[in-house]
Amino acid sequence: MPAAQKPGNRPSGALSRRLSKLSPYLWILPAITVYGIFKLYPLVSGLQMSLLRWDGIEAPRYIGLRNFEKILSDPMTGAVLMNNVHYAVGTVVGKIVLSLFLAILLHQALKGRTFYRTSLFLPVVMSFVVVGVLWSWLFNPQFGLINSFLRGLGLDFLVQDWLGDAAVALNSLILVDIWKWYGFHMVIFLAGLQSIPDELYEAARIDGASVWQQFLHVTLPMLQPVMIVNVTISVMGAFNVFDIPFIMTAGGPANATNVMALHIYIRGFKFYRFGFSAALSYVLLVIVTLVALIQLKLMTSGDNTD
Amino acid sequence: MSAARSSMRQPTKPGIHWRPILVTLFNHSILILFTVIIVYPVLWMILASFKTPGELISNIWGLPADPAYQNYAVAWEKARLGRALLNSGIISIGAVLVVVCLASIAGYAFAKFSFRFSTVILLVMVFTMQAPVPIIPFYVLFVRLKLTDSYLGLILAIASGTIPLAIFIFQAYFRSIPGELREAAKIDGCSELAAFLRVVMPISGPAVATVSILTFVGAWNEYFMPLLLIRSDELRPLTLTIQVFFLQFGRAEWNVIFATLSIATIPMIVVYVFLQRWFIRGLTSGSIKG
Repeated sequence: MPAAQKPGNRPSGALSRRLSKLSPYLWILPAITVYGIFKLYPLVSGLQMSLLRWDGIEAPRYIGLRNFEKILSDPMTGAVLMNNVHYAVGTVVGKIVLSLFLAILLHQALKGRTFYRTSLFLPVVMSFVVVGVLWSWLFNPQFGLINSFLRGLGLDFLVQDWLGDAAVALNSLILVDIWKWYGFHMVIFLAGLQSIPDELYEAARIDGASVWQQFLHVTLPMLQPVMIVNVTISVMGAFNVFDIPFIMTAGGPANATNVMALHIYIRGFKFYRFGFSAALSYVLLVIVTLVALIQLKLMTSGDNTD
Repeated sequence: MSAARSSMRQPTKPGIHWRPILVTLFNHSILILFTVIIVYPVLWMILASFKTPGELISNIWGLPADPAYQNYAVAWEKARLGRALLNSGIISIGAVLVVVCLASIAGYAFAKFSFRFSTVILLVMVFTMQAPVPIIPFYVLFVRLKLTDSYLGLILAIASGTIPLAIFIFQAYFRSIPGELREAAKIDGCSELAAFLRVVMPISGPAVATVSILTFVGAWNEYFMPLLLIRSDELRPLTLTIQVFFLQFGRAEWNVIFATLSIATIPMIVVYVFLQRWFIRGLTSGSIKG
């Protein structure tokens, strides 16, 4: 019944009827134009560029799929992609576990909830440039806060060259990424927790479920929608990450922190291999799409089996 | 898991219930620990901005002995922060204006009118908004449109990334506004557009605030787009200025770097602390739907 009144374009004449037929498109036109030109058009126009050998200055030369062949045979591609995968696993596990844990603590009737929430969310409003530069110093091997702290505790064996050691650098960047975002994911989990009705816990308790069982059988399943949101955001972030490695390590040492977005940028704007860089973008695009689809499939199929 | 629940499980113990107290204590200590991990580096950055280069090495944890206010003067001069702040302001406010104007009108159409392809258009946006843009065609497009190295180009580049999310936020909000309001305005002789501008928009403060905060913070902190599109020193926003300055002077004058970082961060933190509820809602609104 209410559907009848909803889209009501009540006509009051032939002209206005024709206008009102046209007008919805006029309303969306400005937004769609900007989005179409600056987001959708490059997604399509780059396809043709990926088939070129082009330095951005001289006339481009059509070379077919050679760029893609080179990408597939280049050992660098796999190494860089593995860095993204490593980054994704590290940040997703870190962010999800930590933020869910903190959200559960904060969900109780505690004094100072607003204070905690506001403080933990703080890095979200900070720029990655500020965060990256600040952490470059905190990680400084001689005078940085982290090593100084570890030495003070007598944990000298944990002292590292956080950004200079190829075996550690990527994990250091992962730590910074987690630091910047766990408050954000915590707030989303908190919203999810608040939407779980208390009766479910009461029923579980009457059935004699322990706190841990309640978490496994009530909290986690009920959190599935926000879990999907949080995991998706962090996975997408990990495959698109650029700012942190660009500012803190420039992909080094020895490509240990080189990730796809950085690789694409360096090939394009340091080596002026526009065609190759464009082709790389599509490799990333395909991978990101596949990851998103697989993830969506995995996370929604878990729902059906319950 | 709550304190009350824990106490119910141990009804035999007489006297004070220690367990809930311990649980509360545990919760607070963990939360305080992670709050300190977040807040302390930021506080430390502000403290370090008042230290001398020597103190940064000899006095890592302590307060600055004699606050070196001149760090701020040096930072302001050398990094040309005044200009950078102005640029960031222009770009961020410009992006907010573009996004709010375009996305509110479009969001209203998607919420209140039915027309062909509306679902298709929304679906295309959902599936492409997260996709990483290939930067070469993106850059070439801006070169061909002569939009590199200009405020307008940067504003459009940033706005185009936020528009879909802003449309969804506006659409959800306008759906919640009763249709009678619009009908009443139209009976009073308002055109559809006038009804939108005079009746609907004035009561849409929450949606406008959400979208504005989301866009402003994103634009203010945006680094990649200016890196790609801005060439001249005069147009560099804060983020790019800081990074260029860091590359030039970072290794030598960390205290000045910290002053630069503080100037860039403190205004945003102050606004955030006062409007924290709005900020948190705005910045998570893309993710939480009811």
